[in-house]
Amino acid sequence: MSLLARLRLRRRGGVIREELRDVETIPRRRLSLVLALAVGLASLPMVLVYLLLVLSSFSNRPGMLGLEEVLATEYSLRPWIDFFEGRVAPAAGKIYDFTYILTVIANTAIVAAGVTLVVVFTSVLAGYAFSRMSFQGRGLLMQLILLLHAFPGVALIIAVYAIYAWSIKALPKDFRDFYAMVYVIFARAALEIPMSIWLMKGFFDKIPWEVEWSAIIDGASRFQAWWKIVLPQVKPGIAALAIFAFLAGWEDFIYVWVFLKPRDIPTLATFIETQVRDLETAYFPVIAAAGTLYLIPTILFFILTQKLLLETYSGGLKA
Amino acid sequence: MVRVRLEKVTKRFGRVVALNEVTLEIKDGLFTALLGPSGSGKTTMLYLIAGIYKPSSGRIYFDEEDVTELPPNERNVGLVFQNYALYPHMKVYDNIAFPLRLRKVPPEKIDEKIHEVAKMLHIEELLDRYPSQLSGGQQQRVALARAIVKEPTVLLLDEPLSNLDALLRLTIRTELKRLQKDLGITAIYVTHDQAEALSMADEIVVIDKGHVQQIGSPDDIYYRPRNLFVATFIGSPPSNIVYAKVENLGGGIACITIAKARYCFEDSRAERLVHMKLQEVIVAFRPENARLSYEPRSDMLSIPAEVYMVETLGRENIVTLTIGAASVKVVTRPDERPPIGDKLYILIEPQHVMLFDPKTELNIDYIETPPLT
Repeated sequence: MSLLARLRLRRRGGVIREELRDVETIPRRRLSLVLALAVGLASLPMVLVYLLLVLSSFSNRPGMLGLEEVLATEYSLRPWIDFFEGRVAPAAGKIYDFTYILTVIANTAIVAAGVTLVVVFTSVLAGYAFSRMSFQGRGLLMQLILLLHAFPGVALIIAVYAIYAWSIKALPKDFRDFYAMVYVIFARAALEIPMSIWLMKGFFDKIPWEVEWSAIIDGASRFQAWWKIVLPQVKPGIAALAIFAFLAGWEDFIYVWVFLKPRDIPTLATFIETQVRDLETAYFPVIAAAGTLYLIPTILFFILTQKLLLETYSGGLKA
Repeated sequence: MVRVRLEKVTKRFGRVVALNEVTLEIKDGLFTALLGPSGSGKTTMLYLIAGIYKPSSGRIYFDEEDVTELPPNERNVGLVFQNYALYPHMKVYDNIAFPLRLRKVPPEKIDEKIHEVAKMLHIEELLDRYPSQLSGGQQQRVALARAIVKEPTVLLLDEPLSNLDALLRLTIRTELKRLQKDLGITAIYVTHDQAEALSMADEIVVIDKGHVQQIGSPDDIYYRPRNLFVATFIGSPPSNIVYAKVENLGGGIACITIAKARYCFEDSRAERLVHMKLQEVIVAFRPENARLSYEPRSDMLSIPAEVYMVETLGRENIVTLTIGAASVKVVTRPDERPPIGDKLYILIEPQHVMLFDPKTELNIDYIETPPLT
C-alpha cells in the first residue's frame, strides 16, 4: 500500500495498527541490493574499458579492441610473449630484449618498494610521536603537515628538480644513476608522508594509554611496550599505509619521468608512455599487455584488502 | 608485600595541583582503599605509587627503599586499570604470560604459574580466547590474573569494579577481598564508591581536593569522621548538617540551640566547646541514627521539624524534613510513614551527635585540648 493511501486511511479512520511499521525498519537487504545495482551500473563503463584492455593484450588485432570485435577476435598468449621478449613495435624498429623488459619491471618494483619502505618507516615513527609525545611546536608542526598534504606534488616539482640538478653535479658520473633512484624514492615518498603520518597518528590515538602503561608496569621498557604491544595493534594501519605507498610508487609517472628519464632508467609507466607516444607505429596488443601488467598490483591490492581499506577510511579498528 | 610510604608528595599538572603535600603510610598486607569524589587526586596517587607519574616534589618509599626515581618497570607492582587494558592482539594465555616472558622465566615455569593463577580466578577455560571474546567480568579476572601472576609487592586497583553491572560487582567484591586475604598482599584500591570502600577495605584513606582528609578503619571513617567533608561524603544518604548556637552556662556545661530546641552537654564536649570559645557550631547526625517522635525528650537532642516528603525503599523509608530553611533526611522503619506536613521532633542520642567547628570544619572530638586543671 502506498504511503499516500495509508495516510488517507489514517486520516479517515484513525490509526490502523496493522499498517504501522516500527521506526527504522527499511529492509536492509533490499536497500543494499539497490545500492549495489547503482554502483555496478555507474562503474560499468570503467570496468568495460579495463576488460577491453585485458582482452586486447591477448588479441591478434593491431589496434585496441572495440566492443563489437570482442567475439570475432582470436585470442592467444602471443602479445605477452612478444612483450617479454621485447618485440614491442617491430614495424618501427622498437625491439628490446628480455633482460631490458625485466629491468623495466625491476625498476618499477624498486621505486615502489623504496617508497613503501621510506613512507612506512617515517610515518610509523612520526605518527607515534605525534600521538603520544608532547614537545615544543607539536600543534604547529601538525598543521604544517596538513598543509603539506594539500600541496599538489606537481607544484613542488620545479623546486625539487632544482635541488636535484644542483646536487647531482657534485657526484661522480657512475654514481648518478643510483643517486637518481634514491632521490626519486625519497621525493615521491615525501608526497605520501604527510597523509600517512596523520593516518598513523589516528591509529595510535585509538590505543588507550592504559594499555601502554600496563605493558611498562608489567616490566617492559618504553621501546618494548611500543614494539610488542602498540605496534601489533596498528598492523592494519601499517598495511594500509604500505599499500597506498606501494601503489603510489608503482604508478608514479611525473616524478619518475622527470628524475629517472625514460631513456636512462625506465619504469613501466614511462616505458608505456614512450611506446604509445608514437600511435602510428604502436602495436597495441603488446602495449596492452604492458598496461595490464602495470595494473595488476592495483587491482590485486584493492581486491585483497577491501575490508582493510574500509576500516581505514572509516577510521575504525575493531579490537 | 611491602609498606608504602608517601612523604610530602605533591603532584602538579601545569597549574593544577592534583596532590598537595600528602604524607601517609599504607600498611603491609592490608587492603587499603583510596576513597574520594572524582577529581580528588586518588587516581593520581595510585599512578604515583605505580611510577606512571613522577611526583613534582616529595618521596615515595616501599618499605625502606626510596622508589621515587624508579621507573614503573622496576617497581614490581601489579596494576589493574579501570578499563582492564588487556592486550587485544594476544590470547588470554599470552596476556598473563607477558610479564613473566619479559622476565625471561622458563616456559615450563610460566605455564605452571599461569595455570595456578587461572585456577585461582576460575578462568582456566578462557586461556585460549582473545580479550574481545570475553565478558566484562571475565576481562576483569584476566586483568587481575595478569597483575598477580608476577607476584608483585603491591597490588594496585584503579576502580576495577566500576565497569561491571551491579550484581556482578557484589560477587567480585567478596572474591577480591578474599583473594587479597589469601595472598596476604598489600593492596591499594581506588574507588569513588563508599560502599565498596567500607565493605572491602581494612583501612580507608579519604581524599578530597588533593588533600588527605582522614585515614582510618571503616568504623573510624563512618562513626568518627575527622571533618565535615568525611561526614557528608560517607553514608547513603550522607550525614545531615544543621547550624546551632552555642551558649556557655559555666560550670562545665555548654548548650546548643537549634530552631529553639536546646540541648546541654555536660561531658568533655562541653569543655571543648567552652575551651574553643565557639559562638556557633555545625551539628551533624546520620539519617539512621535519628528517630522521629511527636514528643520531645529531655535526654536527647530534640529538633522540631516538618515532614516534607517520604520515600519508601522497602527495607526502610527515607523521610525528608525541614528545620527552618535547612533540609535533613531521616531513615525510618518500613511501617513508619508520617504524613506530609506533620510537625514532629527529630530525636538524636547525644553520642550520635557530631559537632564541627564552622571555621575549620574539624570534628571537635579531634581537636587537641590542653589538659584540664
